[in-house]
Amino acid sequence: MTDERTLLELCRHIVASGERMGATAVEAQASSTSEVESNIELSQISSVNRKDLDGIAIRTFVGQRMGSAFTNIPTKKTVDEALSLALKAAKASTPDEDWTSLPKPAKYPAIKGLWHDSVADCDSARVVEFAEEYMSRAIGAEPGLMPAYGGSGAGTEHSAYANSNGIEHAERGTTAYVFLAAIAQIESGVTPAIGSYDIRRDLKFDLDWVVEDIVSMIRLCKRTSEGVSGSHTVIFHPDAYQQMLFYTLIQSIRGDNVARGKSMIADKIGEAIASKLVTIVDDGTIPEGVATSMADDEGVPRRRTPIIEKGVLRSFIWDSYWASKMGVESTGNASRSMRQGQVELSPSTVVVEPGKRDIKDLVSEVKHGYLVRDVQGAHSSNPESGDFSIVGNPAVLIEDGEMKGAVHGLMVSGNVFDLMKQVVDVAKTPLVLQGLIGPEIVCEDMKVIARE
Amino acid sequence: MFDRLERAVERGRDLGASYVELRGEDGFLEFLQMDDGRVNALTQRIERGVAIRVLADGAWGFVSTGKLDGLDGAVKEAYSMAKAAARTRKDKISLANVKAYREVIELKVDRDPRDVPIEEKIAYMQDMTKAIRDYDERITAVTVKVRTASGSKYLVTSDGARIRSPIMLVWSYPWVTGKEKGQLSAARHEEASTHRGWEYMDEVATPQHMAEQVAKRVKLQLEGVPAKGGSFPCITGPRVIGVLAHEALGHLAEADLTINSSFNGKLGKVVASEGVNMIDDGTDPGNLGTSRYDDEGVPSSKVEIIRDSVLTELLSNREYSAKSDLRLTGNARAESYLHPPIIRMRNTYFETGDHSFEELFEGIDFGYYLADFRGGQAQMNASFQVGIQEAYEIVDGEMGGPVRDLSISGIATDSLFKIEGISKEEFPYELGRCGKGQEAFVASGGPDIRFGKGGITFGGQG
Repeated sequence: MTDERTLLELCRHIVASGERMGATAVEAQASSTSEVESNIELSQISSVNRKDLDGIAIRTFVGQRMGSAFTNIPTKKTVDEALSLALKAAKASTPDEDWTSLPKPAKYPAIKGLWHDSVADCDSARVVEFAEEYMSRAIGAEPGLMPAYGGSGAGTEHSAYANSNGIEHAERGTTAYVFLAAIAQIESGVTPAIGSYDIRRDLKFDLDWVVEDIVSMIRLCKRTSEGVSGSHTVIFHPDAYQQMLFYTLIQSIRGDNVARGKSMIADKIGEAIASKLVTIVDDGTIPEGVATSMADDEGVPRRRTPIIEKGVLRSFIWDSYWASKMGVESTGNASRSMRQGQVELSPSTVVVEPGKRDIKDLVSEVKHGYLVRDVQGAHSSNPESGDFSIVGNPAVLIEDGEMKGAVHGLMVSGNVFDLMKQVVDVAKTPLVLQGLIGPEIVCEDMKVIARE
Repeated sequence: MFDRLERAVERGRDLGASYVELRGEDGFLEFLQMDDGRVNALTQRIERGVAIRVLADGAWGFVSTGKLDGLDGAVKEAYSMAKAAARTRKDKISLANVKAYREVIELKVDRDPRDVPIEEKIAYMQDMTKAIRDYDERITAVTVKVRTASGSKYLVTSDGARIRSPIMLVWSYPWVTGKEKGQLSAARHEEASTHRGWEYMDEVATPQHMAEQVAKRVKLQLEGVPAKGGSFPCITGPRVIGVLAHEALGHLAEADLTINSSFNGKLGKVVASEGVNMIDDGTDPGNLGTSRYDDEGVPSSKVEIIRDSVLTELLSNREYSAKSDLRLTGNARAESYLHPPIIRMRNTYFETGDHSFEELFEGIDFGYYLADFRGGQAQMNASFQVGIQEAYEIVDGEMGGPVRDLSISGIATDSLFKIEGISKEEFPYELGRCGKGQEAFVASGGPDIRFGKGGITFGGQG
C-alpha cells in the first residue's frame, strides 16, 4: 500500500517532468488500493484473497494532441518511462480542435466519514467471520436455503491527482461489504439466485436486515405462480430499476451523449419528462455513497446535481472536456479507466427521492401486478432510444394485495421515458445500493409478457 | 521470470502448503478509443505482475501483486489467507492429479502489434469511422475501440508444471448510432484474435468489413418495424444460437455453477430434442478461446456437453474434477494476474444437423429470424435474456422485413426440447468476451436452428 502523500509526490514529479519534456499540459492520477476479501462457494468459505494494487495514469498534451499511459509500479523510474510513452503517443496522435485546457484549482467539499480505521485494520480472520455469520444465519432462518456464492471484503483506497494548471489533491477512503446469493431447490429445478448485500464505509453491517431480505425472498420464490400477459402494475425494486436506468436514462443524461446527438432528451431541459413524483439527484458528496469522494478523476470537486425535480429535467452530468465544449461547468463526473486511459462521464451516487408510503401498503393496493426484484438483460437495452425489454428474475405475482410466488420468464417491455411518466407512487424507505440510493417505485400500465 | 517464480514456490512448500501456484505476466498492452474522429484514449502500458495461489489446510489463499521483488512475502501472505479460510470449512478442497508439463510455447505472428506504429492504428480507426459514416447519411455518432496485447505469461506450480505461453490480442469494436425523425438506433460489432497479430486487422477485421457489419445493422434498426411481444416460432442464426449456447446453456455446464443450477443431477439424462449436440472445444486451432494449456497447466480439450441430446460432460478445473469426479477438461482460465483462475468456456457451439436452410422456414406462418444480438444474460434457474440487434419477420414461410429492438427470453432447459430442426450448413463463429467476474475471450456459434412456438418468448414494443 502506498499512502496518498507519496502518491501526490509522484503525481507532482510526473507533472514537472512532463513539462520539462515538452508537454503543453500534463495530468497524473495515482491510486493505491488494498483489499482483503473472502469468497463463498457451495455454502462454505472457499478462499481468502488479498489484492494490493497501485496504478498511475498519465495524460499528456502536446498542443491539442493527447496521449496517455499507465503503470502499476509507483517509482519515479517507471513513471518516467510511462511518461515517455504518453508523450510519444501524443506526438503521434491527431489534434483535437475542441480541447482547450485541463481543469483549474477549486475548493473541495468537506465530507465526513469516508475513512474508518476499523476497516483499514480489518484482518482476514475478521473478514471471514462476517461472511460466515451472514451465511450461517441465512441457512438457519430458512429450510432449504443454499448459499451459492458471495463473500465479504474490507478495503482502502489512497488516491492523488495533480495537473499542470496547479491542481494538487489527495484523499483516502475505506469500503466494506457483505454479500450473499442463495437459491433453493424447487420441483422444476431451482429458484432464481437471490442476492442481498450491505456495502458501506465502516464495519457496522446490518446483518439482521440482509438476512431477512434474502430469506423472505427465497421463501416467496419457493412458490411458483403463473403470469398473465397484458398491461399491469409493476413495482420495481431499486436493484431492478438501477440497472434499467443505468443503461438508458443515465446514458441520456451524460453530457458527451447530449453533445454527440445520442440523447433523446438533449433539448428537454426545463421540460417535464417524468411523473411529478420523480426526483433524481446525482450526489457525489452524500456520505453513505460508496462512490462519494471530494474530487472526481480530473481533480474537479464532486457536487450534488439535481437531474430531475418533480418530473422536470434540470441538468445533465459533465466532465471538463464536454462542459467546456458545450459552454457549461463540469459537475465533477469525470471517471477515468486507469488501465485503459479514457476519461468518460459516469454518475456518482444516483439518489431517488423517497415518497411517503410504506412498501407493504403499496403492495396491498395492487389487485393484479408484479414485484420485479431483479432483472436480466438491462444491458441489452437500446441506450439511445431508451427502449428496453427485460426479464424480471425474480418477478413475484401480486394478487389482491398479496405476494403469491415467483413467475418464471416474465418479460417487461417499454421505453424508459414512458416508464418515468408511468410512476404512480414511490415507497418511503430508501435502500443503499452500490451506486444508487432509493426506494421501490410503482409503475402503472407496464407491458408484461408471460411465458406460454 | 521462471527462476523468480520457482524460488517463491519453494518458499510456499517450506511453509507447508499442499499446493503452490505462481502465474507471472509481462506484457505490452494498448487501448485506443476514437469518438467521432477524436482520439479519446491512446494508452500504452507495460505491465508486470504475479498471481500467487496457495492451497493450505483445504482452502485457498490468493494474492495478486505488481511487486516482483516481494514474492516471498506474498507467498507467506497467501498461505496465511488460506489458513484463515480453512478454519470454517467442513470439507477440505483437494485437487485432481495432473501430469506436470514443462514447455515453452512460441507464437509467430506476421505483425506483432507492439511494433505497429501508432499512426497506423489511428489511421485504421479513422478509415473505419469514415467507412461507417459513408454507409448511411443517418449515422450520427461513431465510437471505435481497439485493444492490443503482446507478451508472455508464466506458470510454475509445486506439482512441477513450468509453462511459458504467449499473450496475444488484437481486438476491434465499433459502436454506432443512427437517427431519423426523432428515432435513435444503435448497433455494435466485435472481432478479435488471440493467435494472429495486426495482420488480422489488415486481412479480416478490416475497416471496411467492420463498417459494413455495424452500419448495416443501424440501418436495419432504423427501417425495421416494431417487434411483437409474445410467443412465436423462430429461427436463430449462427450468432444468436452461439450466444444461447454460451449464456443459456454453457454456464450451466460450468461445474462450479452446475451444482446450483438447473443442470444439477442431469448428467446422463436427456436434456434436449433429438439430434442436439453441443460442444466446448479448447483445441480448435486459431479460434479465439483456444490455448494449449489452461491457467492450472492442464491441457485444453474438447468437451461434449450434450451428445445425442444427453447431458454428457461438464467443464471442470482441478478442484471440481476432484470434488465431483469429473474428467479434467482444462477450462480453468484467469483474465490476468489480478484474478485467480475459474472455470470458463472457450469455443462453444451447437453441431450441424440435417435440414436445409429452406426447410427450416417451412410451415411458419409468422415468426422471427434472429441474426445478431446485443448482449445476453443467464441465471442459475436457466432463465435467459438476449437483446437482438438484427432480426427479420418470417411470414408465410419466407424471410420478411427487418424488425427493431427485439429481445428474447426463455428457460433454456425447456427451450432445448422445442428445437425442431438444425441446419446442415457450416457456420461462422461469433467472437466476443464473457464476464463472470473477470473477462475471458470466447467464441460461440452454431448452425441455423428452428425453435417451435413456446420455446422462446419475445419482448417487443409492438
